[in-house]
Amino acid sequence: MRFFVEKGDNTLSKFSFFIRRFHSLIALIPIGLFMCFHFLLNSATFLGSDAYLTMVHFMKGFPFVQVLELVLIAIPIIFHGIYGIYIVYLAKNNVLQYKYYRNLAFYLQRITSLIVLAFIIWHVYTLRFAPVSAEGTYAALLSMLQNPLTFVLYVIGVVASVYHFTNGLFTFCITWGICVGDRAQKIFAICAVLLFVVMSLWAVGILLSLAVA
Amino acid sequence: MVDLKDVKYIKLKIKRRDDPNSPSYWQDFQIPYRPNMNIVSVLMEIRKNPVTADGRKVNPVVWECNCLEEVCGACSMLINGVPRQACAALTDKLIEKYGDRPIQLEPLTKFPVIRDLMVDRSKMFENLKRVHAWVQVDGSWSIGRGPRLAEKDQRIAYEIAHCMTCGCCLEACPNYNQKSDFVGPNAIAQVRMFNLHAIGRMQADERLEALTAKGGIQDCGNSQNCKRVCPKHINLTAHIAAMNRQANAYVIKNFLDK
Repeated sequence: MRFFVEKGDNTLSKFSFFIRRFHSLIALIPIGLFMCFHFLLNSATFLGSDAYLTMVHFMKGFPFVQVLELVLIAIPIIFHGIYGIYIVYLAKNNVLQYKYYRNLAFYLQRITSLIVLAFIIWHVYTLRFAPVSAEGTYAALLSMLQNPLTFVLYVIGVVASVYHFTNGLFTFCITWGICVGDRAQKIFAICAVLLFVVMSLWAVGILLSLAVA
Repeated sequence: MVDLKDVKYIKLKIKRRDDPNSPSYWQDFQIPYRPNMNIVSVLMEIRKNPVTADGRKVNPVVWECNCLEEVCGACSMLINGVPRQACAALTDKLIEKYGDRPIQLEPLTKFPVIRDLMVDRSKMFENLKRVHAWVQVDGSWSIGRGPRLAEKDQRIAYEIAHCMTCGCCLEACPNYNQKSDFVGPNAIAQVRMFNLHAIGRMQADERLEALTAKGGIQDCGNSQNCKRVCPKHINLTAHIAAMNRQANAYVIKNFLDK
């Protein structure tokens, strides 16, 4: 029987803690922040197609844009996605037996993670890699959103992303010991739901404005 | 809503297993209705006359119980799918809530079954040892009385001290399963209690070291089922969040101090 925690080199034993906390941190900075920024820039579509294309040209001309895309967007999302699949595998979901709100949220967080992962791969492939120019991207985007089937898939992908982000923001506050007590957790949970509603409406609004453009 | 006056029998559906390696099977039992019974007294009635509802004589159902007042955790089992103590599960309340259908009894699923409703919960003891969940007072000489605990800390410690290591929180936790070696919500809460204790906090770093090792607090996925099923109403999710704060601070401080 081992009564004392062994001391000494604990780098390896801390690996699981570090990687899980890293997975949590990068979800907010930069991935979550990027998503908000992405929504904000795409809101240019509310001002018409010219404003939207000006924005796309501005972003394409941003200094070191490809390095930034790789370091701040691609690598964090790939890491979060791959380690996230392992986290999904670790859980033994019991949402039918324990029908509690948070347990459902735990399950939805894992379901949406898989939806979002598939959506991001599709979204990036069709709009970032396949088209050759900004005009090509815009044309591809319009043709996708004006087709009812792909429009519905986009709404599902975007709402799932927003859910994963806002519910994740709430659990982030627990994971990092920011909100501890019952009252604080309740307030943060309500804020997360409100943020989910607002951001979902915002995102669907962007999609709708492109669909009717 | 069932009128208890109309109830003639207390019916049970029990998941049985003869030994750890044989498959489990279901058996139905019924005993004449009597008011104010609990699941332990019903199981005792079955033991007196172990005959199934269809009249077959079988081996008596094996289960564990000890305190009979919901403070020891020995009789924890799944009652209509909910992990709780058999001694505190009143049959009249169950019939009122679930109707006249058989009350379903199953052993806890997260622990090895020894026989019928009896499980081996020694993993929980191992997890408590893993996180150093005791106050270290044994030495070569007396170290005297420790300082008094502030009243606000006493309140937190008192709540956590209600934990009877029954295993309900682990049973409901989706992240406590055979795929992971998560210590579980109860052990995390115990660390908070012992780290508050005036003498216990001298080993605070050892506990935090264990809590941030493999299978530690990072495996919590915030499903918060633990808090919902805890029979002692311990606010496990708040204790986990508080320990998240301590664990993060410990790891960052450790990194910067060395």
